[in-house]
Amino acid sequence: MSQAGQPTVMMQGIETPVASVDPEAFFRNTRRLLYPMQSITPIAGLGSSNPTQLRQTGIIAGLEIRVTGTLVFGGTITGTIMSWRWPYNLIKACKVSANGQANLINCNGGQLKARGVMQPDSQDRGVTRVVNDVTGVDQGTLSLAAEDWGTSTTNLLGPNRTVPAIGTYTVDLSFFVPLAFDSKTLLGAIYAQTAATALSLDIDWETQANLVTLGGSATLTNPATTLNYQVNGIVYSIPNVGGKFVVPDLSAFHSMISTRTSALGQGDNEFILPGTGIGRQLMRVFYSVYTGTAPGAPLAMNAANFGQQAWRYGGNDTPELVQNGQQLRYLNERLFNSDIGRNWGYGCWDFANEWAFRDSVDEGTTSDLRLLINLVASPTTPYLEVCQETIFAAPVGA
Amino acid sequence: MNGPFSAYAQVGLAPPAVNAGVGPRNTTYAMATEDEPGGWGALLDPSNPLVWFGGFLLVTVGFASVAGSVRLGKAKVSAAVGKA
Repeated sequence: MSQAGQPTVMMQGIETPVASVDPEAFFRNTRRLLYPMQSITPIAGLGSSNPTQLRQTGIIAGLEIRVTGTLVFGGTITGTIMSWRWPYNLIKACKVSANGQANLINCNGGQLKARGVMQPDSQDRGVTRVVNDVTGVDQGTLSLAAEDWGTSTTNLLGPNRTVPAIGTYTVDLSFFVPLAFDSKTLLGAIYAQTAATALSLDIDWETQANLVTLGGSATLTNPATTLNYQVNGIVYSIPNVGGKFVVPDLSAFHSMISTRTSALGQGDNEFILPGTGIGRQLMRVFYSVYTGTAPGAPLAMNAANFGQQAWRYGGNDTPELVQNGQQLRYLNERLFNSDIGRNWGYGCWDFANEWAFRDSVDEGTTSDLRLLINLVASPTTPYLEVCQETIFAAPVGA
Repeated sequence: MNGPFSAYAQVGLAPPAVNAGVGPRNTTYAMATEDEPGGWGALLDPSNPLVWFGGFLLVTVGFASVAGSVRLGKAKVSAAVGKA
């Protein structure tokens, strides 16, 4: 007997079997799933990229990336120093494409870690690490206690840390990629129950030159042979209720996009956020400024480094302004329970932590949306890294 | 969709238009009833199917029995249309 064609509907811009949007029925009946999307495998190499095809099942809320292995230093270690990009910006770019949207997520590892403490239920764990050759730094490290920034017996690695001795340093890092903006309501989660399109994760690894400066006689065993990564997916099943498949509201995508510019100078700098437009809500935008010989050092968010900080749109509409970086740092620490401006110098304008419905910025009514960043001193070969987190309407809503 | 779990309720994101290029119906359009004929005028309105049915009936049956006469004393006045 021939089977009648199954009716379809469009969801997040792709053709799917008929499903009803019924969040309450979905949340009551779905099952949370956690399973490997990429088994442990060696990284392609520093400066290279690892593509991963994600499993196309259910509704994907997030990805967990683990990087584990060793760094093996040999020769004569004198003059060897880890850069400020170590450890979290080992992931130079984490890029997720899904359902016709290229690079919904495209930001570096440090930004993923910073975003991790910005959600309402998150806070700094107060984990002690070595930062800038200072031991016992226990605030703003963004680290989990179970992570390992590099340990060889009693010797530790860290950002801007002189490598103490040759040896094999164990490394274990964890990154959460938030595909859904909210892990409870799954706003912005990705509908993956389809073969109509590909879901992909690409991880670009930072170059060795940007991670470590080797002394004249020091060696580093090729990390492609010593570092590995693996990916787990957090997925929710699509339940069948009363003969119908039910899904939550999937009418929106969640995006985290990082951009970079070197057009910075002493005094006021206005950086226009790229890609803004109608149908987009800005949840938060955070940034950091690096200066000095590449890859440079981040400017701590304080009054000595930063003057007025604000966000602005239109001619000169400036809804929020602080008089210096220290005030923004206080604002952020109070909001996130983490001193994100201390080590990597993050500053954030957050519109989602308290109440996004009230505070988020409608980009359709804020033309030329931009940041005002005042630098106290003249920077040397600076660059600004800005990460925007937005919610925007999917091509065809559920 | 609406409700506490919608994108609008959570972050204020307006739901996308269902049909691009077709504007939403406004209340003026939805309540525009004054142009519709009503009362006795509707019996002569061409959009009323009874008018056309009546015309069809006339053509088919003809003016079969439209006739009459009046007698005034010795005089008789009569008139007929069709096959009287």
